Amino acid sequence: MEELRQEEITSALLKTIKKKIKTIGRRVRIMEVCGTHTMTVYRYGLKNLLEEAGVELLSGPGCPVCITPDEYHEIVIDLLTKRDKMIVATFGDMTRVPTSRGSLQTAVPAPSSFLKIVYSPIEALQLAQNYPDYEIVLFGAGFETTIPSLAFTIKEAQARSLRNFSLLAACWLIPPPLRAILESGEVGLDGFLYPGHVSAIIGSAPYRFIAEEFKIAGAITGFEPNDILLGIIATLDQIINGIPEVAIEYCRAVSVEGNPKALALMAEVFEVKDAFWRGLGFIPQSGLTLKNQFEEFDTLKRFSLNLIPSKKSFNPACRCGEVLRGLIQPTQCSLYERLCRPESPYGPCMVSFEGACLIYYKFGQRGKS
Amino acid sequence: MCLGIPAKIVAIENDYFGRVDYLGTKIRVNLSLLDQVQVGDWVIIHAGFAITRLKEEEAQETLNLLREIATGEKTDL
Ligand code: SF4
Repeated sequence: MEELRQEEITSALLKTIKKKIKTIGRRVRIMEVCGTHTMTVYRYGLKNLLEEAGVELLSGPGCPVCITPDEYHEIVIDLLTKRDKMIVATFGDMTRVPTSRGSLQTAVPAPSSFLKIVYSPIEALQLAQNYPDYEIVLFGAGFETTIPSLAFTIKEAQARSLRNFSLLAACWLIPPPLRAILESGEVGLDGFLYPGHVSAIIGSAPYRFIAEEFKIAGAITGFEPNDILLGIIATLDQIINGIPEVAIEYCRAVSVEGNPKALALMAEVFEVKDAFWRGLGFIPQSGLTLKNQFEEFDTLKRFSLNLIPSKKSFNPACRCGEVLRGLIQPTQCSLYERLCRPESPYGPCMVSFEGACLIYYKFGQRGKS
Repeated sequence: MCLGIPAKIVAIENDYFGRVDYLGTKIRVNLSLLDQVQVGDWVIIHAGFAITRLKEEEAQETLNLLREIATGEKTDL
């Protein structure tokens, strides 16, 4: 794998990209959908090098922490602060997202309740068994990469007949927001770099509409710097040939059909619903909810709650929405660095390791050359 | 968060769980999303689950492609 990182190869790939841009005869704009791609792009200084070569990379909505709207947080903050014997279990990043009611981390739990950070959703099952007289709410946020693990967890909860466990599913599908971004026409794009590990689950077929309907090129790519550059080359080739497709440049981990076992598990436990995204708003058929036969594990049903789009945002000046749609760079937000920093985030894009603002803050100014 | 760092299966415990070597640390992971995982397989871990197996042949293909481009650019000069 070392070779995937070799700088000598990186500069050869950049040269190839320059030539292809020359052939195309104009600058090209590509959206990298996945937060981890954004990280690679900045960490290895590719952003500036590509800029010089004529490729503008824009970050997309590929950070589940960032696109989960405040109302989900408000629901779990309420449960944690108002109910006794409540354990809210969630992934680390989720606890620091600021809302008008504070974050999960700053919220003061009811006397016997507490917050528990988990690395894997199955840890929540253990909590349910260890604390039989507590309610355990798993606040599970994720894309198709994470959703199969949540589905497994629900099936296990049923198999173990757990009566004190539920899931607040903040589950998001990646292809629908890409359609929303293209349909809005807000940002002119020539191509997409599709997320490697979402695609390991869903395969390449769900993106095909982007090539067929919108005639936009793209490639599924891995997470090494040279992987990203290969993905860009594949995208440029499609632009040159005039034949957009969904290339798989991460074939060591991704196949056309994805992971059938994970997909079957997802389909068994969840059904697709319309959903609201932070920054992108209402997107048809873009979220998931537990199927009826698992409704006893649905936090919303268990506590008779509704997701009502939050009216008050923690800070209206936060421009995460535009960052997530590829409309602005983090530095164009007036709060960036001045008030909004990793230790005092004003929006989720400065909280998550996959958030564009945090990545920019950490690596943005650093070119490799 | 998916860093995409490969992990190597070092033990299979039961139908669901096994152990991987992840950057030198042995961790317990859920293997139920993959079929017929074997000791020695390389996988990608996400949230405690192995989500995909890495295929050696395809990895080699990518490396060959990279070498080809690198050599091509050199001789081009
Ligand atoms: S810099 Fe902070 S306030 Fe501005 S968009 Fe990013 S997260 Fe929001």
